[in-house]
Amino acid sequence: MSATPPTLLRPASATDVTGLLRDGRAICGGTDLLVQWRAGAPVAAMIDLTAIRASIPVLEETAAGDLRISALHPLTEVTSALGEELVPLRESVAVFASTTIRNRATLGGNLANGSPAADTVPPLLVLGAVIDVVTPDGGTRAVPLADFLLGPGRVQLDEQEWIRTVTIPASARGCGRPGGGFRKIGGRAAQAISFLSLAWQWRVAADGTLTDVRLAMGAVAPTVVRLTAVENLLEGSLPGPDLIDAAAAAVDEDIRPIDDLRASAAYRRRCAAGLVREALGAPAHHATRDER
Amino acid sequence: MRLNGIEIDNVPAELHGMRLLDYLRTERGLTGAKEGCGMGECGSCTVVIDGAAVTSCLVLVGQVLDAEIRTVEGLADAGHGPLQRAFVARQAVQCGYCIPGVLNSCAALLDRVPDPDDEQIRTALDGNLCRCTAYNRFYDAVHDAACERRTDQAGQA
Repeated sequence: MSATPPTLLRPASATDVTGLLRDGRAICGGTDLLVQWRAGAPVAAMIDLTAIRASIPVLEETAAGDLRISALHPLTEVTSALGEELVPLRESVAVFASTTIRNRATLGGNLANGSPAADTVPPLLVLGAVIDVVTPDGGTRAVPLADFLLGPGRVQLDEQEWIRTVTIPASARGCGRPGGGFRKIGGRAAQAISFLSLAWQWRVAADGTLTDVRLAMGAVAPTVVRLTAVENLLEGSLPGPDLIDAAAAAVDEDIRPIDDLRASAAYRRRCAAGLVREALGAPAHHATRDER
Repeated sequence: MRLNGIEIDNVPAELHGMRLLDYLRTERGLTGAKEGCGMGECGSCTVVIDGAAVTSCLVLVGQVLDAEIRTVEGLADAGHGPLQRAFVARQAVQCGYCIPGVLNSCAALLDRVPDPDDEQIRTALDGNLCRCTAYNRFYDAVHDAACERRTDQAGQA
């Protein structure tokens, strides 16, 4: 049996949202908030943002070539609109929860929730995403994702603010495959909250040299983090067996995993090295005789 | 909203914060959608909203007042009789609790992809848990239904 239904208000336009968020929580896909509410989180009123979708394109390209993605549309609609663009983001959505959840969940909700394990955040971080936040006066402020993430469950979003769109700069586009991807480790293929996750993107020169190297890992620190030690090793280099070994070792400096109900810190460190190897096209792990 | 093809106006405001699952079962008498986990993980409450399979335990009524909603009770009228018959013929049903949700996920897939392969069916069902029977029978039933719908459409053309 469920708790007493909250009051639900459904503003028809962005201007109507202003003021309502003072007394209620923003809801859109609802796939996180309604689970929290059912578990007992007090929510007096919910302010539904789904009607505002009508005034926001799922995806638009700015004059500068940036991609502006709706934070309010379901993830499946976002990936359909993206076509071949933004491989790391599309690969993360492909393994996000389940079809029924992807048909409802939004980028805005995944960002606002502030989970270090949120699956769309590592790809958005490597893509240099900027979060377009609507302020109570009806204006917007652009927050680079790296600044937006503050800690577990904490993001730079005041109570009366909401996320309208996410902008990917033109400079992050066009890496294509195999220059980008996403991998996660979870308890099973569907509906799993990641034990850890890795998104990556780089450009591959004709001779195989990597440039614009970016990697971000989820669920290994209080927020999703860029792997700067790994990035510095790989930038301008030609991956070979020695470099891949070095990169897999370097990830240790970039992460601060903890033991929690999903996985131990030690397991996360081993998996982190394995995911970096996989991103570089190597087998995740060469088992030693003792481990077989 | 339009529920199984029937227009429903004037849903009272006090019901807007109700879960769609509760609204269907208690206010509309449509008990096909079942509550399993109540948190979007098991899929037994799956319905189709504007063509997309979603878990009705994570949708509030006020969010879908302008939407087209289909429950298992409306499947046959929406042309999915062959799918339901194929589930029976393939003995794909045991306890039945998950089946309304499974059928809705399969029907939404067939509406989008008339001739899905196993991988597409597997993905469409990744949010539907069944602990009785073999998922293989679901795949077989969906292939049968796709085949029958193709034959029907060819016959009508």
